Amino acid sequence: MGDLTRVTIDFQTSHLIFPTLIACVLGLLGLAVLIRDRSKIAAAVPYWRGVLEGMDKLRFFGALVLTLLYFSLMVPVGNIWPNTGLGFLLCSIPYLLATGLLFMHERPLRQVLPLLIVAVVGPVFVWWLFTYPLFLSLP
Amino acid sequence: MKINRRTLLAAASAVALLAQPMIAQAQNLPRNMRMVIGSKSTGGDTYQASAMVADALSEKLGINIKVDAVGSSEAFKVLERDKRGTTIMMFHDQAYLGHLYGVTGYDDIFANYNIGPTVAINPGNAYLVAADSPYQSMQDILQAAADGTRVRVAIQPGGVSEIGFSAMKNAAKVLNPGSEENIVPVNTGSQSDKNQAMWDDLADVINGSIQGNEQFTQLPADDVKAMRFVWITARPETLEQAPEAGMGGTSRDEMLKHASPATSVTLDGSKDFTFDKEFFLLYNKDMDPAVSEAIDAALTEIYADGEIQKRQKEAFFMPNFLPAAEAKAHLEDKNATYAKVIDQISAGN
Amino acid sequence: MLEILTPLFLSLIVGGTLVGIIFGAIPGMTATMAVAVCLPLTYSLGLENGLALLLGLYVGGISGGLVPAILLGIPGTPSSITTTFDGYPMAQRGEGEKALRIGIVSSFVGGIISLIVLWLFAPTLADFAIKFSYVEKFLIIFFAMTVMAALSSDMLMGVFSGVLGVFISLIGTYDISNGGNGELRLIPPGTEYWLESGFSLLPVLIGLFGLAAILEQAEIGVPKGHSAKDLQVGKSSSFSFRIFATNGVNLVRSSLIGTFVGILPGVGGSAASIIAYTNAKTFSKTPEKFGKGEPAGIIASESGNNGLTGGALVPLLSLGIPGDSTTALLIGAFTLQGIQVGPLFIGNNPVTWDAMIIAMLIANVAMFVMMYFAIRYFALVVTIPKHILFPVILMMCVIGAYTINYGIMFDVWTLLIFGVFGWLASKIGIEVAPFIIGFILGPSAEVYFVKSLESFGDLTIFFTKSWIAVLLWVLILGSIVGSVLMSRKQRRMNQ
Repeated sequence: MGDLTRVTIDFQTSHLIFPTLIACVLGLLGLAVLIRDRSKIAAAVPYWRGVLEGMDKLRFFGALVLTLLYFSLMVPVGNIWPNTGLGFLLCSIPYLLATGLLFMHERPLRQVLPLLIVAVVGPVFVWWLFTYPLFLSLP
Repeated sequence: MKINRRTLLAAASAVALLAQPMIAQAQNLPRNMRMVIGSKSTGGDTYQASAMVADALSEKLGINIKVDAVGSSEAFKVLERDKRGTTIMMFHDQAYLGHLYGVTGYDDIFANYNIGPTVAINPGNAYLVAADSPYQSMQDILQAAADGTRVRVAIQPGGVSEIGFSAMKNAAKVLNPGSEENIVPVNTGSQSDKNQAMWDDLADVINGSIQGNEQFTQLPADDVKAMRFVWITARPETLEQAPEAGMGGTSRDEMLKHASPATSVTLDGSKDFTFDKEFFLLYNKDMDPAVSEAIDAALTEIYADGEIQKRQKEAFFMPNFLPAAEAKAHLEDKNATYAKVIDQISAGN
Repeated sequence: MLEILTPLFLSLIVGGTLVGIIFGAIPGMTATMAVAVCLPLTYSLGLENGLALLLGLYVGGISGGLVPAILLGIPGTPSSITTTFDGYPMAQRGEGEKALRIGIVSSFVGGIISLIVLWLFAPTLADFAIKFSYVEKFLIIFFAMTVMAALSSDMLMGVFSGVLGVFISLIGTYDISNGGNGELRLIPPGTEYWLESGFSLLPVLIGLFGLAAILEQAEIGVPKGHSAKDLQVGKSSSFSFRIFATNGVNLVRSSLIGTFVGILPGVGGSAASIIAYTNAKTFSKTPEKFGKGEPAGIIASESGNNGLTGGALVPLLSLGIPGDSTTALLIGAFTLQGIQVGPLFIGNNPVTWDAMIIAMLIANVAMFVMMYFAIRYFALVVTIPKHILFPVILMMCVIGAYTINYGIMFDVWTLLIFGVFGWLASKIGIEVAPFIIGFILGPSAEVYFVKSLESFGDLTIFFTKSWIAVLLWVLILGSIVGSVLMSRKQRRMNQ
C-alpha cells in the first residue's frame, strides 16, 4: 500500500479537511436527490401554493410574528433593569396570553380565565424560581 | 461560618440588602451584577475562583452577583456592550495569551478593557512524562533536543497550555540554537486527550496539572498509566504558599524540586521562565471608575479578613490579591515577557 | 459504613432525584443544568451529602427526559432523543401509558446494570477504555451514524439529512478545547459575530422538536382535542412485564452499551442512547418496525441512557476524567472539598466511594418508585388544552435555550431558526431524526477523524489499528447492510 494511503495533515489548515469532505458528500447526495426527485422539484411552485392555501395563515404567521416580537423585545426591556430577569417576566406574560388567545377557537370567559391565570402565574413562578432558588440569569 | 452564595441569596437576600444598603447606594453600585467568566464549565477552576470572589463581594457590598459560565468569546462580547458596570468578567492569563498566540476571538485586553484586581493563582500548570520515560528532568529533555532527538509535547494550542511549551522551545534555542526545532507540539484538546496521547505513544511529554495528574504519579511504575512530573511552571514563591503536605502523595518540597530554581527552564540564559495562572477581573473600558474603586476597596477588606484565603487554599488556589492598578502593571509585565518568548521562537522559523 | 445513611443523606438523594426528574421532564432543562445549579450547595453540605444530592439529580435528570419524549414528542434532554422515535408514535396510538412503563422499567434496569458494572469493575474498565485511541473513537461515532440510514423513511433523503446535520454542526470554530485549531469555517460573511461558536445542541434540539411541532399545529389551525390520545390509566393498559422476556437480550445489551459509552471519555452522553438504539435495530428481527412505535426502541434508548450514569462515573473516579458533561461538574464538587479524583481515588476514599454507590442505588430505586407511581400525573399533561400547553412549552423552550449556556441570547434565536427549519424540513422531505443525529455526532466525528490522520498519517490506520477497530467495522458493515436490505424489502412490499 505504502505511499498511496499516506496523508500529512497541516494543523494550521486542519479545520477545513472535514468540512470539505462533508461538503463533497453532501453535494453528491444533493445531486442524487435532485436527479431522483426532479419532477417533484419542478412542481415546487404549485406545491408551496397548495401549502399556503391549505394552512391556517392567521394562526401560523400570528404565532411566528408573536414569537419574533417576544424574542426581540426581551433584551431591550430587560436592559432597563439590568440582570433582574424582568425583561423575561414582562414579555412572557403578554406573549403567553396572546399566543393562547390566538390558538383558541372560541373565546368564552370560562376558557379565557384559566389561560389568563396560567399566563400570569406561569412566568412569575418561573421568574421567581430562576432568580432566587436556582440563581440563573434570565434576560 | 461557611456562607454559600446561593443559599445566602435565596434565603436572606432581602435581609442582606436591608442590613447593608448604604454601601451599595453610597457608591452608586448596580444592585444586580453579572460576572461572566471565560470558561463554559461550572465545574472548572475559573468558575470556582469566580464563585468564591462573587460570594465574598456580594456579602461585603450587599448586592447580588451572578456568575455566568458563558465562555470567553461570549464573555468578551457581553462585557464590551455593557458600559454601565452591571457586567464584569473574570478570567485568567488566557485572556492575553490567546491574543499573543493570535487565536480567533481574542483582542488586546490592555487596549480594549480595563484591568481589575487579581484574586488568586492556580499553581497547578505542569509537564509530565511517562514513568518509564528516559527523561528524568527538563535538562534531559533539552539535552535530547540538542542531541537531535525529537521530543513530542502534547498541549492544547493557543494559550495557557502552550506557554510552557513555548518556554521549552525558547530555552532550547537559548542553550543550543537550532535545537528548538526538535521540540515539536502534539496538538490535542482536553486533559483526557493529553493523557491519552501519552498512553498511545503519540507524545513524550504532556501538559497537565498538579490537581489532575498527581495521582498518576503515585501509581506503581509498572502501571501503564504511571507518570512523573518533570516541570511545574509556578513561581517558587507561589508554591511556598501551598500547604506543607502538598497534594496527595506529593509534598510541597517535592513540588518545589520540579519548579524554578531547582528545575530550570531558562528565559534568557540568566533568569528562569515561570508561569502562574492568575485569575483577575476585567471591566468595560467606559465603566464608571467608582465601581472599580468600590470593588478594590471591598476586596481589600475581604482579604484583610482572611476568610477567603482559607477557602481558596482548601481548593488549592493560592490567594493573590492585587488592586486594579498593581494588577494591571503586573499583567502587562507578564504579557511583555511572554510576548518576547513567543516572538523569539517564531523568529527563527 | 452505616453511619453514612443518615436521614439527611437519604432525603437528599430522594429530593435530588425528584428535582432531577422535574428538570429532565421539562423540555429545555437538562440533568447537567440541575447539577450545575445545585453544585454550590454541596460546599455547605459536605462531600458525601453533597454527592448524594448531585447523584440523585443526575439519575433523576437522565430519567425524567422520557416523559415529554413519549407524551409530546419533545425530548426532555438530549439523551432521550431516541426515545421519541418510538415513544411518541406509541402515545399517538393511545399506548402512552404502556410506553411510559416500558421506559421507566428500562431506565431502572439500565441504571442498576451500570451501577453493578461501576461497583465491580471500575478500575479494570478504565484500563480497557484507554486502549481506545482517536481511531477507535471515530469508528464508534461512525457506527452510531449508520443509524441515520436505518431511521429514515426514504433512505437517500435520510442520509442526505444526516450529512446536512453533520455539515451544520461544523459551523463555527474548530474548537480548540476539543483539539482543533480555533479557526472559523463555513460561516456566511457578516455573521461571524453570532456564529463564532456555532449553534448549540440544546436550542437546535428543542427548536426542531418543540417549536417546529407547535408551528405544524398552528399551520393546521391548532385543532381541538388532545395532543396524544387520552391515557386511560389503568383501564386499557396492555403493559405487562412479559414484554421484557422477549427483549431481555436487548435490555441487557443496551444497558451495557450505555455503560461502555459512558466509560469512553469524549464520546458524549447523547451518543449512548443512539448507539444502543442502532444496535437494537441492527440485531432486531423486525427492524422495519423501529421508528413507528416499537417497544424495543424505547427499551434500547432508555436503558442505554441510564446505563450511561454508572459508566460516566468510571473514568471520573478511576482516571479523574469525566465521561460526560454532567460528571464534568461532579469534579467541581470534589475539588471544592479538596478531594482529588484520579486513579487512586477509590482506594484512598473508601467511605466516599461506598457512599456514592449507595447513593446511586437509592437514587435508581427512588426514581423507579416515583416515576412508576406518578404515571397517572404525567398523563395529565396530555389533557391540558393545547392553547395553554403550547404557549407554556414555548416559554420553557426559551428559558432552556437561554440558560443552557448561562445567558446567551443567540441561543434563543437558534431556537427560532431551527423551529422554522424543522417546519420547512417536514415540507420538503428533509428528515429530522437523522438530521439531529448527524448534528449531535458531527463535532466528535470531525475531531477523531482528523486527529486519527494527523497522529498516524495513514488512511489504513482505520482498519489496522487494533482488533477493536476490526470489530467495529464488522458492526458498521452489519448496520449498513441491514439498512439496505430493509429498505429493499420495504420497497418490494410497497410495490
